[in-house]
Amino acid sequence: MSEVMLNLRRSPRKLLERDGHPGPGAGHLAVIMARAGVGKSAFLVDVGLDALLAGQKVLHISLDNTIDRVRAYYDDILGQMLREEKKLDLWSPIQLDVERRRHIHTYAGHTFTPDRLREGVQLLKDVMQFEPAVILVDEFGEEHLDAETVGAIKAIAKEAGAELWLACQVYREGPQAEDGHLPPPVDQFEEDVDLAFRLVSQDSKVRLHILKDREKMLDEDLHILFDPQSMLVTAGSL
Amino acid sequence: MNENLQRIRNIGISAHIDSGKTTLTERILFYAQKIHAIHDVKGKDGVGATMDHMELERERGITITSASTYVEWKDKHLNVIDTPGHVDFTIEVERALRVLDGAILVLCSVAGVQSQSITVDRQMRRYNVPRIAFVNKCDRTGANPKRVTAALRDKLSHNAVLMQLPIGLEADFEGVIDLIEMKALYFRGDNGETVEEGPVPDHLMDEAEAVRAEMIDAVSMFSDELLEAALEDAATPEMIHEAVRNGVLSLELTPVFIGSAYKNKGVQPLLDAVNAYLPSPIDVPIEALDLDNDNAKVELTSDPEGQTVAYAFKLEDGRYGQLTFVRVYEGSLSKGDTVYRASSGKKVKIGRLVRIHANSMEDITKAEAGDIVGLFGIDCHSGETFIGDGPRLAMTSMHVPDAVISLSVNPVDSKAQANMSKALQRFTKEDPTFRVRLDPESGETVISGMGELHLDVYVERMKREYSAEVETGQPQVAYREAISRRGEFDYTHKKQTGGSGQYGRVIGYLEPLDEGDYDFVNEVKGGNIPTEFVPACDKGFRMAMEKGRMIGFPVVGVRAVLQDGNSHAVDSSDMAFLVAARSAFRQAYERAKPRILEPVMKVEVEGPSEFQGAIYRTLMQRRGNVLGSTEESGFARVEAEVPLAEMFGYSTDLRSETQGKAEFTMEFSKYGPAPAEVTEELRKKYSGQVAEEDD
Repeated sequence: MSEVMLNLRRSPRKLLERDGHPGPGAGHLAVIMARAGVGKSAFLVDVGLDALLAGQKVLHISLDNTIDRVRAYYDDILGQMLREEKKLDLWSPIQLDVERRRHIHTYAGHTFTPDRLREGVQLLKDVMQFEPAVILVDEFGEEHLDAETVGAIKAIAKEAGAELWLACQVYREGPQAEDGHLPPPVDQFEEDVDLAFRLVSQDSKVRLHILKDREKMLDEDLHILFDPQSMLVTAGSL
Repeated sequence: MNENLQRIRNIGISAHIDSGKTTLTERILFYAQKIHAIHDVKGKDGVGATMDHMELERERGITITSASTYVEWKDKHLNVIDTPGHVDFTIEVERALRVLDGAILVLCSVAGVQSQSITVDRQMRRYNVPRIAFVNKCDRTGANPKRVTAALRDKLSHNAVLMQLPIGLEADFEGVIDLIEMKALYFRGDNGETVEEGPVPDHLMDEAEAVRAEMIDAVSMFSDELLEAALEDAATPEMIHEAVRNGVLSLELTPVFIGSAYKNKGVQPLLDAVNAYLPSPIDVPIEALDLDNDNAKVELTSDPEGQTVAYAFKLEDGRYGQLTFVRVYEGSLSKGDTVYRASSGKKVKIGRLVRIHANSMEDITKAEAGDIVGLFGIDCHSGETFIGDGPRLAMTSMHVPDAVISLSVNPVDSKAQANMSKALQRFTKEDPTFRVRLDPESGETVISGMGELHLDVYVERMKREYSAEVETGQPQVAYREAISRRGEFDYTHKKQTGGSGQYGRVIGYLEPLDEGDYDFVNEVKGGNIPTEFVPACDKGFRMAMEKGRMIGFPVVGVRAVLQDGNSHAVDSSDMAFLVAARSAFRQAYERAKPRILEPVMKVEVEGPSEFQGAIYRTLMQRRGNVLGSTEESGFARVEAEVPLAEMFGYSTDLRSETQGKAEFTMEFSKYGPAPAEVTEELRKKYSGQVAEEDD
């Protein structure tokens, strides 16, 4: 079964490994940026599923959605992967396996703070022996997008030995990226960003650009295309 | 006709357990002058809330059956169904929702949108019930109606709009600001019965104007007239009322009202909102099924002169025999009328017709479309449709979940035996999720239902209402067996015992079925199995599935494919092929790697954040798969899937681990494969039972 699961992996994370841009690695931060509605949340779920199918544990943090909604996201994308591979008969065992290695943590009513996150991560470790290899943080509001908060979250990921992925919205209106910098609001904490990607909607496909790779600022189309409906990497990108 | 019907509001009050909906109902009865004193839910005054009329409910402080009542509020006639909050009794909620035109969703101003609010909301969506929200308990520490309104948007995706603002909160909660009329409302008198109007307090004026502007902005989507008027700052209260009503009826808007039923604040404006915004029976489309026309949908007209269509949604046993609660959808019911059961066409005579008020009633001679009334002297099951002369119409059947837990009940003596039979007969008629069967092997009576508390309540009711003393066995989980891969069969049943013998050969395979319990596929070609014997093969497979070979529970999720076989001109018969198929199933079953499935419950536990670790522990100890957790202002909510078999006694453990500060709800989620050690244990137990029976 684990071989079937590995073969299902179709996320940008796997492709990035192939193209010489490995994931951020433990204690490092990757940021995925896009305008509203382009598919940041689905991208994070892709990354989470990729890690889960590779046998890793994932902590998915959402400040905007309910647990049921995040679960439904995973189920939809996993179902799509299995359908395309004609492996829907394996739905139950794979879904169960995925759920056992994933924990969804949501914060309702603006209750998120880095301290609460640190306590939550510690509790998962102490009580449930749950030590994530990947931490995903979806939809940070503007109030959290400052160097201090992001730095604190990165420190938590480092203490936990996990890689950190953060989704951030960028805007069509307002100030745009200055030369040699990441677009606002990510520019506020760009020192802490190890990898930065941007999803760009173009010709009814969503394309992945890399904007920062460790110390290097870039703007390269990685030629990784996503189906805008399922946000799965299209066959041509594989 | 329209005037009468426009006066009617058939409404329900639904919420998470302990949000104060029974207290709210009590206040509604009081302000509408239906009762003349207010009683507490938990019966501190020894009386108990009027709607919690069963003795058991009063003791436990929960509402088990949905008592019905009616009140007159201003120019409207309100039929009010008080529904239970505990998930074990959701069939009551679902039945109530089926017959309601609108509902009040009660939320606690501290706890906000809780697990059961989500379940209840899902049910309301299923039946397209327009709703308004009431944020209750604004006098409690930590009350925050704005946060609750935001949670309605975020968690339930409601277009929730505050129609009022609180004047003070927690211990300082004094009254509310009506944002349409821009006036303050205070609730004076010993029981808040006098609503006193006043100007909006100066210190709240800016906030009130800002929230009013947001409200008008949101509701103007439902009225062009208001939209235009709002642009010129000329919106009138009438325009706003109309827009809110349009939004509510289209299920696209949830106006939010606030108050504290316990402190007698905010209830009268809520009733005004029921009158103004919730639909009358003619405002919502109602469909029935034409049973003689392939269940074609037929829209009912709510015309009191039309064909009678009335739906029995609840039964109760009382002093005068069976009381059947019905909603009349079209036509009318009069004392002495003869109607028909849609299911059987059998004639039924209406003996006595009553309006219900909790545990008292008033005789009436006629009920018309839109009414909710009680009938005496009618023998029927819950869910029956009564019709007058005309097409055989039935209201759509309700969603009834499968039972997940069983318990054997043994009467202590012969008197108890007779009483128990009477009680069980009644309960199965009242509650479609409560089932009774006789175990042919043990000879014991086994009751099944939706959870431990569900069965517990019925056992108590047997004792109290029917004097049926019973002993109960250990709760039994409703396991299932299933196959996990394809298994071939080639079986010949051959018997020669003098005279004509028995001969049948079947060849084919079993395979797992993704959806549904059973599928039979006949691929036999060339008449190797004559067509007339094929149904017997199907029957033989079905019979084999009734009792699996692993632990004796039903087998589910099997496709049986019959590919070939043989017959004999003289010795083949239905019986021969039935036996052949049954034996073939057993042969293939072992090859198809059978496994045990256990019912898995979705469990949600809520408690103060400091107990989050303890909550995790209690779930992990019970083979729980923790799906996630949510933090919310000092509270943590943990969601998990836990096998039902592990949930017995959970409330006691949870209480002791969290100093009684956490609570949980659970509902059936799915059947999941049982782990190896559980499978082994169940198999051993079953082998032991079989060996014992053989001895």
